[in-house]
Amino acid sequence: MNAVDLSVQIGRLKLKNPVMPASGCFGYGEEYAPYYDLSRLGAIVVKGTTADPCPGNPPVRLAETPAGLLNAIGLQNPGAVAAAAKINKLGALGIPVIVNVAGHSTEDYCRAVRILETESTASAYELNVSCPNVASGGMAFGTRPETTAALVKKVRALTDRTLIVKLSPNVTDIVAIARAAAEAGADALSLINTLLGMAIDIKTRRPVLANLTGGLSGPAVKPVALRMVWQVTSAVEVPVIGLGGISNADDAVEFMLAGATAVAIGTANFRNPYACPEVIDGIAGYLRHNGFASVTEIVGLAKKERPGGEHGAGKTDYCP
Amino acid sequence: MPVGDYRIKEIRKVADGIFRLAFAGNMEAEPGQFLQVAVGRTHDPLLRRPLSIHDCVDGEVVLLFHPAGRGTNLLAEKKPGDSLNVLGPLGKGFPLPAGQTAVLVAGGIGIAPLFYLAKVLKGAGKEIVFLAGARDTGSLYIPPELPALAADLRFTTDDGSAGRRGLVTEELPAILDRIKGEVYACGPLPMLREVARIARNSGVPCHVSLEARMACGVGACQGCTVAAVAGDWQKYKRVCVEGPVFGSGEVIL
Repeated sequence: MNAVDLSVQIGRLKLKNPVMPASGCFGYGEEYAPYYDLSRLGAIVVKGTTADPCPGNPPVRLAETPAGLLNAIGLQNPGAVAAAAKINKLGALGIPVIVNVAGHSTEDYCRAVRILETESTASAYELNVSCPNVASGGMAFGTRPETTAALVKKVRALTDRTLIVKLSPNVTDIVAIARAAAEAGADALSLINTLLGMAIDIKTRRPVLANLTGGLSGPAVKPVALRMVWQVTSAVEVPVIGLGGISNADDAVEFMLAGATAVAIGTANFRNPYACPEVIDGIAGYLRHNGFASVTEIVGLAKKERPGGEHGAGKTDYCP
Repeated sequence: MPVGDYRIKEIRKVADGIFRLAFAGNMEAEPGQFLQVAVGRTHDPLLRRPLSIHDCVDGEVVLLFHPAGRGTNLLAEKKPGDSLNVLGPLGKGFPLPAGQTAVLVAGGIGIAPLFYLAKVLKGAGKEIVFLAGARDTGSLYIPPELPALAADLRFTTDDGSAGRRGLVTEELPAILDRIKGEVYACGPLPMLREVARIARNSGVPCHVSLEARMACGVGACQGCTVAAVAGDWQKYKRVCVEGPVFGSGEVIL
């Protein structure tokens, strides 16, 4: 069996494989550590962390939907100081640790990053400008190119660590926001965060979620996420971490063929605690089976012109 | 708490709205712990279903469930010989009572974890008072082994079609006046509130087993929270890891 090279680069991060858990679906790693050796992961992405402790939203926080899950957790986390201690423990794994950073105002994001800069050994920040479940801030930053760029510039000035910006799908033109984030200094982008949705209980005749609306994830969102990864990777040069409904290696390969340099696994962990290592093994198997020496060979391969093919790299506009 | 495929030995309806599912396997489980059961192998329903362990003996694990939605209805269609993918045991179970006596209060399907608790308590030489309530005689499920476990077993139904007519909690104050036993309860939220209130008035510890909409079952997603009685920032506790059994004074029911 030939060895395949699974390594990829995201900003300054060298990942030994392109698979990481998605923020918010993996806590601070503690919960999944009993299931497998977390050092197998390409990187670890920890929960959305705010400057101050955040109690989160009242229950009910979850609603299962067809092949999907609505959540409105509301960024429950112990705050940047307490999170830093958990993050530093993960350093022993010897893999990049990416901290998702969230806030309600520009100053919130900056305070969180300043605390993490001094208190934590995090390798990178994933700026969460796309959380749909908080009353102010969150997604509000990520729905306009100008506000996205302004925030990214502020945070960029605070850190030399790799800066990833996590984009919201709840926008008219994700490409414009992706460009704004990249031009403002983001080293990489991750997409997509959850799609805003809701569910109503027909027995109580009330919304299921206490927050009324929530973020939709799971296999149901995969085609939307894949389309957005295709569009964004066609428009920007920075590497993209693709996520949204990836359940297995076949899904992950689809995202990489669409242009993602790496992938994140979210909701699938809840169903299958071993989802991440299974995807790593599955990608390696796909590469071997199809004669690729390196995983980078398949990044964006679905866009390459082929004789007789219609799907040229330029044809990225979706027009129903 | 591994993930495993198990073979279903028996599945049958034991009362109106209550199914009993036994699968072959050996588990080290505390009473009050639960399993995350995958009802199928496809993406829909997406999530596992958290079900209390009803019994756990050499070579067999038993679950009780109420087919109430898409997932549990699919589970009810399983047949002996089918494979069942299970994650667990998970969560924090019931603590043993400090004293000699325990009072168990079960409402409806809430009998699921309390039967297993009664077995373990009996094994530990404790004396058990068991109050079981249901809507009517059809929906009352008393496991055949239960009468031998409980020194005092009483039934209550809303309509009086079996046992005493009324609410399962009505006899509790008098019982706690007589014996200062520790209280263990599982059932609908209004019942748990009333049990907690009565136990507080009687000055006895009370442990409640809670249900919640759950995704991961291991504490990662923070989806299954319950409001906590806490002084710090942590206003919510996770039912899957800090529970499902809580001291009734720890949480806001």
